[in-house]
Amino acid sequence: MAASGIDYGWRLQGKTVRLCADRSLMADESAHQMEKALRQMSMEYYVLDRCMQCGICSSACPQGLLHDDAPFSPRNFIQRARLGLLNLSEDELWKCTHCGHCQMMCPYEIPFLEVMISLRNLVVEQGAGHVPVSIRSALASIASGGNPWKADAAQRVAWLQGLDIPPVACEPARKVHLFLGCLAGYDPRARRTAQTAMRLLHLAGVPFEVLADEEVCCGDSVRRVGDLATFARLKQTNKRIMLSKGVHTIYTLSPHCYESIQTLYGWEENQAVRVMPFLKLLFQWMVDGVFALTDAPRGRVTYHDPCFFSKHQGLVDEPRQILKGLPGLEYVEMEHHGRKSLCCGGGGGGFWRDVAKGRRLAEVRLDEALATGADYVATSCPYCLAMLEDASKGDERYAKLEILDIGELVWKGVRP
Amino acid sequence: MSQAAAEKHTVMVVGGGVTGLGIALALDGLGIETLILEKGPSLGGKVKDYDKIFPDFVSGRDIVNELIARVERVPRISCRTGTVMAGLKETDTGYAVSTNDHQRLEVGAIVLASGFEVFDARLQEEYGYGIYPNVINGPELESYLDPHGPTGGRLLRPFDGKPARRVAIIFCVGSRSKRLGNPYCSRICCSYSTKQAIEIMERDPGAGVTCFYMDIRTYGRGFEEMYQYAQNLGVKYIRGRVSECSVLPEGDIQVRAENTLLGKPVQGVFDLVSLSVGMMPCADAACLADLLGIERGKDGFFSGVDQYRAPHDTRREGIFLAGSVTGLKPIHDCLNEALSVAGRVAAYLNNHAG
Repeated sequence: MAASGIDYGWRLQGKTVRLCADRSLMADESAHQMEKALRQMSMEYYVLDRCMQCGICSSACPQGLLHDDAPFSPRNFIQRARLGLLNLSEDELWKCTHCGHCQMMCPYEIPFLEVMISLRNLVVEQGAGHVPVSIRSALASIASGGNPWKADAAQRVAWLQGLDIPPVACEPARKVHLFLGCLAGYDPRARRTAQTAMRLLHLAGVPFEVLADEEVCCGDSVRRVGDLATFARLKQTNKRIMLSKGVHTIYTLSPHCYESIQTLYGWEENQAVRVMPFLKLLFQWMVDGVFALTDAPRGRVTYHDPCFFSKHQGLVDEPRQILKGLPGLEYVEMEHHGRKSLCCGGGGGGFWRDVAKGRRLAEVRLDEALATGADYVATSCPYCLAMLEDASKGDERYAKLEILDIGELVWKGVRP
Repeated sequence: MSQAAAEKHTVMVVGGGVTGLGIALALDGLGIETLILEKGPSLGGKVKDYDKIFPDFVSGRDIVNELIARVERVPRISCRTGTVMAGLKETDTGYAVSTNDHQRLEVGAIVLASGFEVFDARLQEEYGYGIYPNVINGPELESYLDPHGPTGGRLLRPFDGKPARRVAIIFCVGSRSKRLGNPYCSRICCSYSTKQAIEIMERDPGAGVTCFYMDIRTYGRGFEEMYQYAQNLGVKYIRGRVSECSVLPEGDIQVRAENTLLGKPVQGVFDLVSLSVGMMPCADAACLADLLGIERGKDGFFSGVDQYRAPHDTRREGIFLAGSVTGLKPIHDCLNEALSVAGRVAAYLNNHAG
């Protein structure tokens, strides 16, 4: 029994839930059906009832700074969700990069990101709409091979073989694990960042090991695009490996890995595992004066805050102190910085989306960096680094900016 | 240890603002003697700083001055300024109160009329209050518009003293925000800010005033008409909560919001940004609640036992509430409460006489 006309809905418990064809009709029965269905399927949905439509979220959302006639608006999204007027097949569902600025500002503390995850989960796991091809392929690859690029798991560490960094053995029961993350495992640029981090660890005399051929994706982006089942499996795999190898401390190179492993892996009290971002370690070294520093590099530097450090973790002072501690550099601040910093566009699955040139959040960010007159843009997240570098490539305006990881900048100044 | 004999009063009113003055005068009209305890150096409370009040633009200062003049003429009313309660004991005839200056008072009933505090706008960091000179709060704007104020009634930019002609008023600062701990509506900010916008436009028709609001709640008699009048004068109302104020090189303030009715981001540059701060329970509310043994609601304001049948009564006999201690209200309502609590206190004293 085929329904006549366009079917905007999906099947739920044997019934087709449909949206009204004319989305302007808010009192339409099918819109009520849609809204009811969403309520049944998503507990997070109920928090939307608190929204008073003040719009502070949309005003805080970095997408409002794009030259777009109808930028993504969390307020508008919530309003339509409450009226059953969402179309989960539209690209809009994937625009949010989970920077978290909206929920940081929300007067009623609506956890918008959790709502997003819940709605994306309906699409990814229950077929309530279309998943963009690039995201679908990344998820499939992670589910089967533990990384988003359909790459061989052995490749994750193969590149480490030829390095001139001799291992420093850990005590067997107090293993320190440097969690590479997928980017450092497979992306040449991120490998260089990871390599520098390892050189710094080595120079500071900190023993560490890399479990890279066994570790899998941390699962942060997987969870944030709504694939909760895969996230649960990744979490289990990583935890099992870390615990079986007697890992005591985990250093993370990416704030995404950090947040995921630290806050979502659910470590038990008796599994005394300590998770620490490499950034904090670097800060401690600088405070303790572990390295002899030269006045290279010279020039102006600004810092791009990764959202998962700044907005999600409040980690904003340490990187600035590190940069201010480099003698050859003058530190300058971009217009939006610290907890109010702007997103690079890479979080929440944004890294896997194709966004046309001229509509990228990273471009807005680079323009702010350019306005400071900086020579270097330092950051501390492989996503940010890649997004900013990608946006700067092939654009004359940004040619002057050198984008690098904060560890790389420190390494440039370290006297060997 | 010898102690001076306790001073006796029939009623003690805590707070010498507009409500407290009104209570004392109303009780005097009923032949009842009163002591006003005021923690500040002088009587008159916050209203003595308001040159014009809404919705009819009369002088708040004149109202308070007149009340004070009458209070001073009446022999049945005495006042102690710079004084707060330090201890309280129940007695056969009411309460024995000790004060910060080691006085002992014996009173038959107590009325709490200690008022409110404005929200500290520094807590809403994104607006830069306390950091950017040209971001001020509502009471400060009030003083700039006051001919007796620091600028002689001229609206000037604190940054460079130049006239401020492009003005933004941001509503609901520290109100309707669970994040900042004040989920309630402060009720009077929409109206006092609209009144301020009108004053600016009436004095300088070429000025531009933009109000960023969430909902306009001009609920009282004459308030909505005032809002209409403001729009007639050209005050712009944009529905959207501001997410950010940033400072430009000349001290100008750039404001970002979403116009939620158009669904479009908006940005504006202003000489002056005034934050329409909400109200909170008076700073010593927790202290007073402990001392008097009475209850406060979740919002921090004091609660009577039954807001319908006995709105002024607390759970302790002989202790009553009036004015904005039970939630924000316009001056007019505070004076009404002064009259009604006086009736309640008179009835109480009558039933407990001897």
